[in-house]
Amino acid sequence: MRTRSRWGLCPRTPGLLRAAAAALSAAALFTGGVAMAKPQPGSGIGLPVDASVEGHRIDWLMNTTNVMTGVLFLIMVGWLIYASLIHNRKHEARYDHGTSKRSMTLALAMAGSVFVFVDGNLFFNSTMDLENVFHNFEKIEKDPSTIRVEVNAHQWAWDLRYAGPDGKFNTKDDIISLNDLRIPVGTPVIFNVASTDVLHAFNLPNFRAKVDAVPGQINRFWIEAKETGEFQIVCAQHCGTNHYKMKGIVTVLSKEDYARWAEQATKVSARVYDENDEAAHWGWEWKSE
Amino acid sequence: MGTIVELRPRAREDFTQSLGMMIGLASWTMMFGALFFMYFGMRANAPMWPPAGTPRLPVALPAVNTAVLAASSLALWRGVSQLAKGRRGALAPWVGVAMVLGIAFVTLQVMGWRTQLAAGLLPSSGAYGSVFYGLTALHAVHVAAGLLVLLVVLVRSLLGTYTEHNVIRVRVAAMFWHFVDAVWLLMFVSIYLF
Amino acid sequence: MEQHIHPEPTNFIWKYVFTIDHKVIAKQFLFTGLTFLLVGGTLAMMIRWQWAFPWGAPVPVIGKLLLPTTGGAITPPAYASIFTMHGLIMIFWAITPILIGAFGNFTIPLMIGARDMAFPRLNMYSYWMFFVSSVFVVLSFTSQLGAASGGWTTYPPLSTNVGSPGWGQTYMALAIFSTGISTIMGGINYIVTVIRFRAPGMGYMQMPLTIWGMWLTAILNVLFVPVLGSAALLLALDRLFGTRFFVAGAAVGTHGGDPMLFQHLFWIFGHPEVYILILPAWGIVCDLLSFFARKPAFWYRGSVFAMVAVTVLSAVVYGHHMYQTGMAPLLGLGFEILTLTISVPAVLLFVNWLNTIWKGSIRLQTPMLFALGMVFVFGAGGLTGLLLGTISTDIYLHDTMYVVGHFHLTMAAASFLASFAALYFWFPKMFGRMMNETLGKFHFWGSVIFITLVFGGQLLAGYSGQHRRLFDPFQYEYITHLKLLNRWTSYFAFALFFTQTTFVFNFFFSIFAGKKATDNPWEVTTLDWTHTATPPVYHNFDVVPTVVRGPHEYANPEVKRLLKRDWIDQVEAMPEAASAGIVVGAEPEALGAE
Repeated sequence: MRTRSRWGLCPRTPGLLRAAAAALSAAALFTGGVAMAKPQPGSGIGLPVDASVEGHRIDWLMNTTNVMTGVLFLIMVGWLIYASLIHNRKHEARYDHGTSKRSMTLALAMAGSVFVFVDGNLFFNSTMDLENVFHNFEKIEKDPSTIRVEVNAHQWAWDLRYAGPDGKFNTKDDIISLNDLRIPVGTPVIFNVASTDVLHAFNLPNFRAKVDAVPGQINRFWIEAKETGEFQIVCAQHCGTNHYKMKGIVTVLSKEDYARWAEQATKVSARVYDENDEAAHWGWEWKSE
Repeated sequence: MGTIVELRPRAREDFTQSLGMMIGLASWTMMFGALFFMYFGMRANAPMWPPAGTPRLPVALPAVNTAVLAASSLALWRGVSQLAKGRRGALAPWVGVAMVLGIAFVTLQVMGWRTQLAAGLLPSSGAYGSVFYGLTALHAVHVAAGLLVLLVVLVRSLLGTYTEHNVIRVRVAAMFWHFVDAVWLLMFVSIYLF
Repeated sequence: MEQHIHPEPTNFIWKYVFTIDHKVIAKQFLFTGLTFLLVGGTLAMMIRWQWAFPWGAPVPVIGKLLLPTTGGAITPPAYASIFTMHGLIMIFWAITPILIGAFGNFTIPLMIGARDMAFPRLNMYSYWMFFVSSVFVVLSFTSQLGAASGGWTTYPPLSTNVGSPGWGQTYMALAIFSTGISTIMGGINYIVTVIRFRAPGMGYMQMPLTIWGMWLTAILNVLFVPVLGSAALLLALDRLFGTRFFVAGAAVGTHGGDPMLFQHLFWIFGHPEVYILILPAWGIVCDLLSFFARKPAFWYRGSVFAMVAVTVLSAVVYGHHMYQTGMAPLLGLGFEILTLTISVPAVLLFVNWLNTIWKGSIRLQTPMLFALGMVFVFGAGGLTGLLLGTISTDIYLHDTMYVVGHFHLTMAAASFLASFAALYFWFPKMFGRMMNETLGKFHFWGSVIFITLVFGGQLLAGYSGQHRRLFDPFQYEYITHLKLLNRWTSYFAFALFFTQTTFVFNFFFSIFAGKKATDNPWEVTTLDWTHTATPPVYHNFDVVPTVVRGPHEYANPEVKRLLKRDWIDQVEAMPEAASAGIVVGAEPEALGAE
């Protein structure tokens, strides 16, 4: 009887082998568990800070799914390790084509339950969240306190435009900004995003929100900040040489600070307004449908 | 002499050949299908089609061209069926007719393009110009390829390569030609008429 | 239907260059593919170098050669070309020729009992068309304004003259078009060969699962590569003749094109493409797990059903690559339902794999190790796909390294591990010699461990918010703390790259000086091993065998009792039945999995 297995281990008895297999599987489970522990956002490995009111839905769905898939993964690893070690050359193979009604039903049941529980959870929650929250533009458009921002993405910066006191875009009192988005806390902000050259994507990772900027098309999304602070704007679609530094800053201010800033910014924009500069009037009529 | 017409044993090899061509044509159908998908997508997105200010496309010339290509297919079909009946000499003339009609098609297409260019419709004239020239030019490339195939068939038939026992070789080439004709019919209807 | 026996050519040109022998064409694809694997891998190392040392440290060894103007340091535009060419080369010039071109060509006729492909000359044209496409790839690198740099996805308007001037992108459009033609030619051959030239008695349900994988892949290739061809063609027209299919926005006066149309065309091809790259791997793994566990493949028909279901569904899930483009919500929902549904057959296949090895008598030889490794990485990768297939979670994860980790695990790692499994397995049949087992095992462990660390690292980075295709990801303050993670992922990547030298040495050494192989060293049941010489003669089979059962008849107690071995091939009659005078009815065993 062989005392050395092919790759140098020295299990002398089946009992020892089983113990080794069990220990390995347990170790895998433990490591997996540690790796899945909820990370600290903002540092180390883990989701970035969530400064949004609704982003937690996405975080919850990701984490729940990770737990479920993590368990499935560890079962698979354990299975592979156990079978490889225990059902080895010395083990007598079982003659089974897997075509008994029981086998086929079991296989289908396993596939089916993953579908129902994991996929089902994902689909249900995602659909609810999209319909009630993320794609619920009607509700946001109706809200009188909603701030509207037009985003013109181009190589390689973000042109931003607020309607200003007159509520209309492409007028003299529009607040114009480059890469500097300021929004008040606790207020819905809705975006019209477009591009004039190549594809870009306007991405606010700390608000779990992004949408592509497509030339010839206006895309929308909305967010609401729940805490003040400075966060990132990231370009999320390869757009050429300087795609990697097409960044901006989102500053969430208190409602009073925002009002004060908006008042100042309108005045500044009006002062530099040049009615002959066609290129500067890149704004469009707000798309609300 | 003493020829026994061995049609049955060859039938299986023949099917292999035509299966290969049919799958190839399925592939080509997907390519043209993608182009039509693009065309209809552009049309659906456009507020108006043809866009305002676009010179109108003629109907008479392309209609004539459709008839020309259809006649070409008929000629080829005639030649192949004659060959299948054993009249080996009949193939070459009909292939010749098909080729002449094919060349006429390309000529008329070029004439049509020149008229459109003169009227101000360019390939760079936005979506409409791109679709018009893109689709018809790609089709014309396939007609040219088909003409090359027919040339090979013509030469081989003159050399006596084809008999009623290996008709499949001509049939397979003919399938491609008929395919090109069918694609044109679709283009004629959807680009010029629709 | 049986093919005639033709005499073998003796002239060098007809024997090795313009050969029509599927076995030699397979080797042509294999060597060309392995060469491009090296190129693609080197490009990957350059990406990892940039992320490990983002302050512009010159790339060692090859840096000064490839980037002379900067002394070996990678610049942003060079970086864009590097990741673009890495993706394109790996998909079209590495995996496709190795897994599909080489192993499809080699295994299909041998495993179904045919003497060659249905259209041997078409086969030869297919390889040389592929060669032409590789020339275009090389030309792209020589372009003054750089090789293609719009990402492998080549989205316009960036990939039009507006965003990418110069010949680099145009050459790649031509390269893609010509490799597409090669693939379609090959696909036609594979489909017709499997339909028409199976040995007598080999119904579709007696084919090895490898052949199912190759056949379904060929069907997808034939149907969907033309769609990519048309997209590449329209892009070429935009670049060369000034058409406006995809140019929109301020770059065009009025009535411009629509960049979104390209995305539709691209992904109508692109999603089936990922299944094209994995179906042969699935088929090969299904067979190898059975062969080396000495057990029948668990629920053969279930696996066939799963592969067919995936093939059919692959056509209608493509929109999940476009969730963030502003699609109509209803359309997105439809794609989401179908995308989640396509996971069901994949899970079924998985379950069948796990059940195949359970209670087996597993021989952990190198091909089996790689097959198990493939199961492992595909399991991990597949599970990560769920978050990407769901719209709300994709809002956060789209364009991050999570996507990159996901598709590398499922597409790159799984396909390559399966390719290596196939290589180690069929090497004796191809070259008449054995590869070294110890080196093979070292290659396996190094590859799997480092693959897990590298792509696991990418998943973590993406989850933490790092985006893809960034020359310097740490420009963004919120991920500067991921520098260490990236540095270590790069170290593991370099280790993965260098592990492959074991394989290179083993491969070339064994071709010339490996131990001579017996006819069936793995003791497996398929026609390629049981009824051909090692390596096979030119016409494969002197006599085309008649098949009486499926290819996974292992561990049958009757066989053990009567033949004193744990396997019986697809052709042998069961001795007792024969001696008892009972006619060997094809029914009971040919139905194999029933």
